[in-house]
Amino acid sequence: MIVLLFLLTTLKVPDAQQFVGPPQGQPIAGAQLSARTDEVSALLRCPVCQGQAVVDSPAEMAVNMKAQVRELLARGYTEEQILEYFELSYGQFVLLRPKFEGVNTMVWLLPVIALALGVTVVFIKLRKLVRRAPAPAPAVDDEYLNRVRDLVSGGKS
Amino acid sequence: MNRTVLFVGLGIGAILVGILFLGLGKNPNEIRSPLIGKTAPNFALREVGTGRTIDLAALKGRPVVINFWATWCAPCWDEHPVLVANARALEPQGVQFLGVVFQDTEEKILGFLRQRGSGYPTVVDDRGKTAIAYGVGGVPETFFLDANGTIVAKYSGPLSADELQRNVRKALGQ
Repeated sequence: MIVLLFLLTTLKVPDAQQFVGPPQGQPIAGAQLSARTDEVSALLRCPVCQGQAVVDSPAEMAVNMKAQVRELLARGYTEEQILEYFELSYGQFVLLRPKFEGVNTMVWLLPVIALALGVTVVFIKLRKLVRRAPAPAPAVDDEYLNRVRDLVSGGKS
Repeated sequence: MNRTVLFVGLGIGAILVGILFLGLGKNPNEIRSPLIGKTAPNFALREVGTGRTIDLAALKGRPVVINFWATWCAPCWDEHPVLVANARALEPQGVQFLGVVFQDTEEKILGFLRQRGSGYPTVVDDRGKTAIAYGVGGVPETFFLDANGTIVAKYSGPLSADELQRNVRKALGQ
């Protein structure tokens, strides 16, 4: 026989306060709340989509996540607290903007390193080309040149 | 210069192949959740059929298997008999199974359980808040809690009897 303790308690779902403490910002409402909900939801990855932000996805999971973002903002949770709350459940995978720490630093540093290497290679190549540039052509005999100019212009020497 | 380019290319290629090779040895269903090693987020949800509230905190002292599922999820149908059979088999060891239904309706859940049988309580996660707190990305996903309420393993996808029992042993501290 399954032994369970059925309590006559009210329904409760896991609350952000359990994970990230009390709100550290000011509660917001109205148009500001809608705008901030979109902004913060744009920073979260929809876990059931292919690289889509929560704000852009019609998936029920994303809709639920967006509703939770809205609720937390309305209660006064800051953007940092909300992102931390989702990160504690899903890991850094859920953050569309990776944090500058650990292996993730490579995401930020590799493009800069690649650009610096590319510029260096181009610079070295250009310097070599300049050094190998052919010496200026020897001076042309002025008398000969004058004859040619006369012929071209139809004059007679 | 051509030889340098060749060596650099081969070096980068070798690193990439090495990274891919390391990944091949991993089971993609065994997800390294940030919640592993932490206390499971508590919830008290309504049981399907009875309307009673089941509080996870009240199950402390027993290993718990929490299975997130839904009737619209075909892999959940596949693993359902495995879960029901093991819930009955592992009951003498004090292991409690709990189904948390995800993005579904009570009518469909009841129909499914009547048709396919049930060996443990099923609760409804109405707006997906519990699923979000557990970092559920899709269903089925199963969490294994030890007697202290600490998450010791997470499995994504339909469980085989072997995988289920292997993770339950972790929850039992064996």
